[in-house]
Amino acid sequence: MKRKQGRVAALFLLPYMIVFTVFRLGPSIAGLFIGFMKWNIAGIPRFAGLENFKRLFTDQYFMISLWNTFKFFILTLPPLIIFSLLLALLLNQKMRFKSVGRVVSIIPFVLIPAVVGIIWTWMYDNNFGILNYYLKEMGQSKIQWLTSEKVALVSVAVVVIWTYLGYNMVLFLAGLQGIPHDLYEAAEIDGATKVQTFFKITCPLLKPVASMVITLTLVNTVQLFDQIYVMTAGGPGTSTLTMVQYLYTTAFQNYDLGYGSAIEVAILLILVVLIKLQNSILKVDEEA
Amino acid sequence: MKKLKGSVKYIVTILICIVFLFPIAWALVCSVKPEADITSYPPRWIPDVATFANYAEVLRKYPYMSWMKNSIITAGAGTILILILSSLAAYAFARFQFKGKKVLYSTIVAMLLVPIQAYMIPLFLLCSKMNLLNTYAGIILPSAANVTSIFILTSFFKGLPTELEEAARIDGCGELRIFLQIMLPLSKPALSTVTILTFIANWNSFLWPMICIRTDNLKTLPVGIAQFMGSVNSNAQFQYGTALAGCCMAVIPTLIVFLALQKYFVEGIASSGIKG
Repeated sequence: MKRKQGRVAALFLLPYMIVFTVFRLGPSIAGLFIGFMKWNIAGIPRFAGLENFKRLFTDQYFMISLWNTFKFFILTLPPLIIFSLLLALLLNQKMRFKSVGRVVSIIPFVLIPAVVGIIWTWMYDNNFGILNYYLKEMGQSKIQWLTSEKVALVSVAVVVIWTYLGYNMVLFLAGLQGIPHDLYEAAEIDGATKVQTFFKITCPLLKPVASMVITLTLVNTVQLFDQIYVMTAGGPGTSTLTMVQYLYTTAFQNYDLGYGSAIEVAILLILVVLIKLQNSILKVDEEA
Repeated sequence: MKKLKGSVKYIVTILICIVFLFPIAWALVCSVKPEADITSYPPRWIPDVATFANYAEVLRKYPYMSWMKNSIITAGAGTILILILSSLAAYAFARFQFKGKKVLYSTIVAMLLVPIQAYMIPLFLLCSKMNLLNTYAGIILPSAANVTSIFILTSFFKGLPTELEEAARIDGCGELRIFLQIMLPLSKPALSTVTILTFIANWNSFLWPMICIRTDNLKTLPVGIAQFMGSVNSNAQFQYGTALAGCCMAVIPTLIVFLALQKYFVEGIASSGIKG
């Protein structure tokens, strides 16, 4: 019976496994090797040892892109946790239209990111944008949203927050609904205040969700590209240059495939290390 | 007091909805303004004249309908392929015993951590060797190696009762028939979740289609629309009206799919927390 099951299982698995191996697993592994090559698309690849990886450490553009990615993460994470949690708490209450609120807040997430980038670029326009118009109405001076090196990164971060708030809200909402009701009843009988209940029951039990939100924000920040490509193309100067934007320029505009692969490996390593780090930090915290 | 608290809740909810809808509504309004009115000052929410001139302009100036067709074909075929391949494989992971199952499954799930950005150069070289660049298959096949769907479907199939299946087996029913006629009809919720998650991910996909496709006529909507922007194409005579009209038309299909299946979308996010 077991042998027969193995054969049937193989037939069920085969179509997916072929596509998965050829178009995902294979390329992922191959990337590690291309990183060791000097490979310009016009020339013949040759072995270059660690040259590409060494270059990463001395390449100021790569370092800038790494630093910018870090800034995006630091800027977007707190609002993406606090505001989404508040939104989830609000939309978890008994009230009419709460399902409307839930649906509306996810809409930004399902829009094409490139389209979101264009719509916000229009709102951010220095002269004709509606945001600067409202600022002026309120007696403030205009802001160079996307054309000032100091502001551009924050402006793009706002777009990222706007996009993912509703998505994270759904995660928190699922977490809130998973908390057993008797815990709240018991707390009420014991005379706990609402604030106490929130900090002593709700917050600790939402920790797995918060951890998931952190992981997702990490992954999304490291991958950040579409909106940036449309809105600023990494500029002005290098002020919004992210790792993937730099990777795209290196590999598909300058056609340096070997060095591009080294950047890919670096991106993957950073991602894996940060996620592991984050998981272990939160776990240590749990035991303490 | 209680009534006051209740109305505060509503006001806050309405304000939040405004924050989320404001950019979209503003884009819609501006897309039906004549080009001269778009940059008029002060900006107005209700235009003097509503016109579809910008929409006509997009259709005239760009191969917009080809982009739309390409997006529908690649996102649609990609989604169908994912549904077929992933449900078969997930069923095997959930219901059959075989050697190496654990290793295989954890290899697949581990690839959740590896975004396409981390392997797009080898993928590009592979597709160029296989003559897949500049073809629909070049976009569809890499998207079919989807991991989230395996994750969602495997856990769903594991939760289905085994009695029906065993009864069918005793009656001499083949495994494929059990899968097609008994398991799949029971799996509509999970399949809907996978459908909406993967369709939206495929429809919105940008980086890989941009790398894979070079011919203007074969581009998908996001890639085509991105060309409207000055930051992307410095030669473009940039006009906001046309760009916004192009944007509005591009998001209508996603909004329809989303609103029709939003219940499953929410469940999908809540259960997997991972985007396609």
